[in-house]
Amino acid sequence: MTAAAVSLGIALLAGCSGPQAAVGDERVEGGTIVYGHLQEPPCIFGGWVQQAYLSRQVLDSLVSLEDDGTVVPWLATDWTVSEDQRTWTFTLRDDVSFTDGTPLDAQAVSDNFEYWLDGGNGTVQAYLADYYESSRAVDATTLEVTLSAPYSPLLSVLSQGYFGIQSPTALARGNEANCEQPVGTGPFTVAAWKRGESVTFERNDDYNSAPANARHDGPAYVEGIEWRFLPDSTTRYGSLVSGETDVIYDVPSIEWATASEQFEVQRYITPGRPVALSFNTVEGPFVDERVRQAFAFASDRRAIVETVFRGAVPFEGNGSVSQGTSNYNAEVAAAYPYDPNRAAELLDAAGWSETDASGYRTKDGETLEIVIPYGAGSILTQEGSAVLQAIQQQVKDVGFKVTLIPVTQSELFGGAYSQPDERDIYVGYWTSPTAAILHINYRHHLPESPNGANSTFYNDDELLALIEGANGTTEPSEQERLYAEAQQLISDRAVAVGLYTQTTSLAVGPQLRDVWLEASQGEPVFHDAYFVQ
Amino acid sequence: MTGSAVDEQPLKRRVGNGVLPRVLGRLASAVLVLFAAASATFFAQALLPGDRATLLLNQRTGQTEARSDEELAPIRAEYGFDDPILVQYADYLGGLLSGRLGVSYQMHQPVEALIAEQIPATLLLTVTALAVAWVLTLVWTIATTRRSSRIDAIGSGVETVAAGLPPYWLGVILLVVFALGLGWFPVIGGSEAARLVLPALTLGIPLAGFMGQATRAAFERALEQPFVTSARMRGMSDLGVRVRHVLRHAALPGITLSGWALGSLISGAVIVETIFARPGIGRVLVSAVNSRDLPVVGGIVIVVALVYVVVNLLVDLAYSGVDPRLATE
Repeated sequence: MTAAAVSLGIALLAGCSGPQAAVGDERVEGGTIVYGHLQEPPCIFGGWVQQAYLSRQVLDSLVSLEDDGTVVPWLATDWTVSEDQRTWTFTLRDDVSFTDGTPLDAQAVSDNFEYWLDGGNGTVQAYLADYYESSRAVDATTLEVTLSAPYSPLLSVLSQGYFGIQSPTALARGNEANCEQPVGTGPFTVAAWKRGESVTFERNDDYNSAPANARHDGPAYVEGIEWRFLPDSTTRYGSLVSGETDVIYDVPSIEWATASEQFEVQRYITPGRPVALSFNTVEGPFVDERVRQAFAFASDRRAIVETVFRGAVPFEGNGSVSQGTSNYNAEVAAAYPYDPNRAAELLDAAGWSETDASGYRTKDGETLEIVIPYGAGSILTQEGSAVLQAIQQQVKDVGFKVTLIPVTQSELFGGAYSQPDERDIYVGYWTSPTAAILHINYRHHLPESPNGANSTFYNDDELLALIEGANGTTEPSEQERLYAEAQQLISDRAVAVGLYTQTTSLAVGPQLRDVWLEASQGEPVFHDAYFVQ
Repeated sequence: MTGSAVDEQPLKRRVGNGVLPRVLGRLASAVLVLFAAASATFFAQALLPGDRATLLLNQRTGQTEARSDEELAPIRAEYGFDDPILVQYADYLGGLLSGRLGVSYQMHQPVEALIAEQIPATLLLTVTALAVAWVLTLVWTIATTRRSSRIDAIGSGVETVAAGLPPYWLGVILLVVFALGLGWFPVIGGSEAARLVLPALTLGIPLAGFMGQATRAAFERALEQPFVTSARMRGMSDLGVRVRHVLRHAALPGITLSGWALGSLISGAVIVETIFARPGIGRVLVSAVNSRDLPVVGGIVIVVALVYVVVNLLVDLAYSGVDPRLATE
């Protein structure tokens, strides 16, 4: 009822002509972009993608990523890697200063590495803690990073917002100041943060360090950004329609079709691990590979995703790496089509051959029960929850009894259902520009070196050797082959199967041009944007 | 029955000997309420299942996974999670007594500063909503009570419907019709008058329905009082009787409800804050509860409790003003 009313209301207004009736192509100097965003993080800098969206506006990184996966210069103009691939040498620009006046030099970048790995950024730790050994300034413009083992994805990893370089002078101010006002060399500075309302960014008039893939050099065209937090999707989309915002994030699925006609829409398919079903391979019925395969065959995941998302979000069958990630294995995505007969055969073979009065399979008197806890409203959207409910219904026909447990944000992040005896399937994604995400998700989970990110608890020497081999080679074809084999192995053994890609979107009003989404995480870039009349 | 005695001229307020003990008693119970609120919040937040250090670490990286002791040790040490719970409780109360609400785990800011930043917007919204509710209630009650059985039925029917309107639904409808459809108001809320109208109506309309039901019943009883008949016999107009005499009697239940309403409006403002993208402590509270940010949750609960205490004190005073008999008792 509400959704229909909302749609009707917005359509009504759209029908009686938008606020900006005719817009020409003439560039207007200055202006402030009003941007409507969904979530407000606790700090502007940190290891959560919501923080990277904001910090990308004020911090530059060493390198930037092109849409095709090529890494291009940014604060680093050049780089080389040693024969044993353990020493990376970066040449930095010599003409860049942080907005607090501190010069950008090799020592400053080295300080940032130390800060991140010392607990300043948990996501940096997830990527580099196993590889990073040390870093040092050889001279003012030469930075040497020493690794404990070869790590070829380093450059694409460094292109993410988490790796934005901050002024060491500013870092020394402590958490309180860095949380609200990180200082970088970027195109904007944080002028004010009214919590619950907006962050105001001001143009850095001395900006001279745009990445090689930016559309222009020098300071931003606009004078600033008014970054509004608009959590309700009706309000957010409505504010764009009424002209109160110039650009918004996350177009609601129900408005996607209309938005595509009225505005410039951009869709970003997040690389990394897609939203997938990761099976618990050490306890419960899914210890048996055949039962995992049976579950994968037992529902028409593609049809369910296409129905629920109305085409706004694509199906992703690969459970370990998502389309849009370099070295993605597309063949894997087609494995396990909907085949209930196959599922039944596999269950019979695995000994789940009896059926109880309610139609559920049993084995030695035990019911085939699958527990799926999921972060309702935090990790999964309402649509994501609907996908799970549809799967629950469909696999029932084959005899799986699925129990869905919606878990609150504080419970889930507090570690509930993170142990092997608490769940049979984990549902979640992980944003990453590289297939090296496999190393984060499949590094062994051992008592002496636990890996909580290994959500399948799957320790497989063969798999790890493939991943480490891929991480350790700089030969592109060899790397592609090894990553592809790793994904194949995960699929063959049904360790994880995919559902859909984590997808974000942007809708831009006709008065604003050249807003773009950067490739590593889909952060909106406003440095090149300008108004027209 | 004794109504006519206080009818024409209010009795002089008499400041009796009982005032000082009454004020002291009030203060003592206020302190007790605040102490209980702080303690309940502390134990609810500290003892909920799930590890607080894991929660902090996971939220800082956007992941939901088990963490090793090695990863958690620095965080536990930083926030004192290793100490026995009673030691943590004593530390917390000690901080409160010296006037410190603590520093947010997530936002790294002093809680006093966070609340000071957010509370003006919340108070502006809730006080405006309460004023809207009063205006609607008074106009509607005076206009429709005991007119004819039909108007009376419509009047109370509208009140019942209004009282049952869910704020989320009402807010979206108002937004779609008046901001998106007609374009009379901005979509995004704020502090300027035009941006305050729809949020205040969203909270004020259901409250008006609620207060209207209570006021109507009292209004009906007051209309049956002998002083009404005598006022009419003196030739007073119907409106004059309703406004000058009956209303004074009928307003008491509404005033009582206002104390409760202001508190509940503050804690319930989160829905309106979300729909209209307004700042305010409601949104801060919800995100702090989600991340079990104890200092922030505790600070907001204490402030809301304080508002309840103060407002109820004011309600008591307002009672004495409207019905002078209460001041002399």
